[in-house]
Amino acid sequence: MPLGILLPLVICGIAGIAVLLHVLGRSKPASLVDEHAARAAWSDEFPDDPATTVVLSHDHRAALLQTRKGPGLVWPMGADTTARFLTDAKITQTTTGLRIDLPDYTAPHIDLRLDPDEARRWPALMEQSI
Amino acid sequence: MSDQITFPDVVSWAVPFFIAAILIELLWIVTKGRGGRYETRDALTSLILGAGNVASGLVLGFIAYGFFMALWAITPLDLGTYWWVIAVCFVLDDLRYYWVHRFGHRIRWVWASHVNHHSSQHYNLTTALRQTWTGTFTFMMVVRAPLILLGFHPAIVLFCGGLNLIYQFWIHTEAIGKMPRWFEAVMNTPSHHRVHHGRNPRYLDSNYAGVFIIWDKMFGTFVPELEADKPRYGLVHNLGTFNPMRVAFHEWVGIFRDVIQPGLTLRERLLYCIAPPGWSHDGSRDTSDTIKQKYVEKTPAARGSPGLPPAE
Repeated sequence: MPLGILLPLVICGIAGIAVLLHVLGRSKPASLVDEHAARAAWSDEFPDDPATTVVLSHDHRAALLQTRKGPGLVWPMGADTTARFLTDAKITQTTTGLRIDLPDYTAPHIDLRLDPDEARRWPALMEQSI
Repeated sequence: MSDQITFPDVVSWAVPFFIAAILIELLWIVTKGRGGRYETRDALTSLILGAGNVASGLVLGFIAYGFFMALWAITPLDLGTYWWVIAVCFVLDDLRYYWVHRFGHRIRWVWASHVNHHSSQHYNLTTALRQTWTGTFTFMMVVRAPLILLGFHPAIVLFCGGLNLIYQFWIHTEAIGKMPRWFEAVMNTPSHHRVHHGRNPRYLDSNYAGVFIIWDKMFGTFVPELEADKPRYGLVHNLGTFNPMRVAFHEWVGIFRDVIQPGLTLRERLLYCIAPPGWSHDGSRDTSDTIKQKYVEKTPAARGSPGLPPAE
């Protein structure tokens, strides 16, 4: 196919599908219903390191977990979740919560939406690994 | 010897079909409320990776094509362009695909290129387009060498490869359950390929087929989709970014970081490149084999069932 046709087709196709998905409500981030869901999401990534305690964020979008190897975090990746240990994490306060920077090319930073009380308490809970 | 043969670039001609099929699948999911899931950023990442794959082909395609033409120049064989030659080439190229795909899951250097295709936690038609940008650097083009040396013109081989890729598009869906039994027995289907994308321990490293599932049955890598163990998609450790650059290059960065670690022997550095994904010099990580082993230790009843190690 000539590039003059292919290029606009690809650009319009990608943009059109993305806009359509957003309009159809497919941009909503995952929500952790309860502590059990947070544990399950963690265990899905780290089955050998079960969570001992779980703290859910007020909006159920993230969970801070403690394990024998140190604290970890579950957060939304679109409609799904992922998880990481907080080893060597750099924590910064933001106007909407916390920003976590990890030395991990596949999860370089996480923006957590937390209420002011959580934003004050969570860094202390995360400190164990820093 | 016929040097000036041209075949259409079927993949680029299939782009309108890809877009139409994605819209139809999405419409089906929205109206029926079943048959798969879509998420905006996940789909956008997949589509950008697909576009990047086409772009990388335009930029780097000359390397593989130059290699194939060099082989074509030295082979004394020329099978011509008869329809049956194309049909035989299609079947043999699918066998070639099976092995390249198997290497892609068992050799980290090749996995570094292929991993992005498995990096979505969704399984829909956009996932099919989540293709590599770095395929040229795996040097898997050498696996096509026998076909060209046997007398299949490079244009025919690439044409068949394009058809193979187009076939694999429609099997990336949850909207289709199972096909008729005879079809499931011979062809790769949505059910077989869902298994391949599953991150459940039993489904790791199975169903490498492109078009014909018979290769997996012949070489012992076939695992059926089980109702009791629905595939969960994505990687063993899912990514924490939708950035297409990070998705495309993350395993190469991982290899680089592992190889330059201080205190390793030359052999260990080499193994970080070519051993199965998850291999580590100190045994601190899991390969698919150890994941399966740990799973059956936790779930002894599953031992010996499809995709899992047998009883000791």
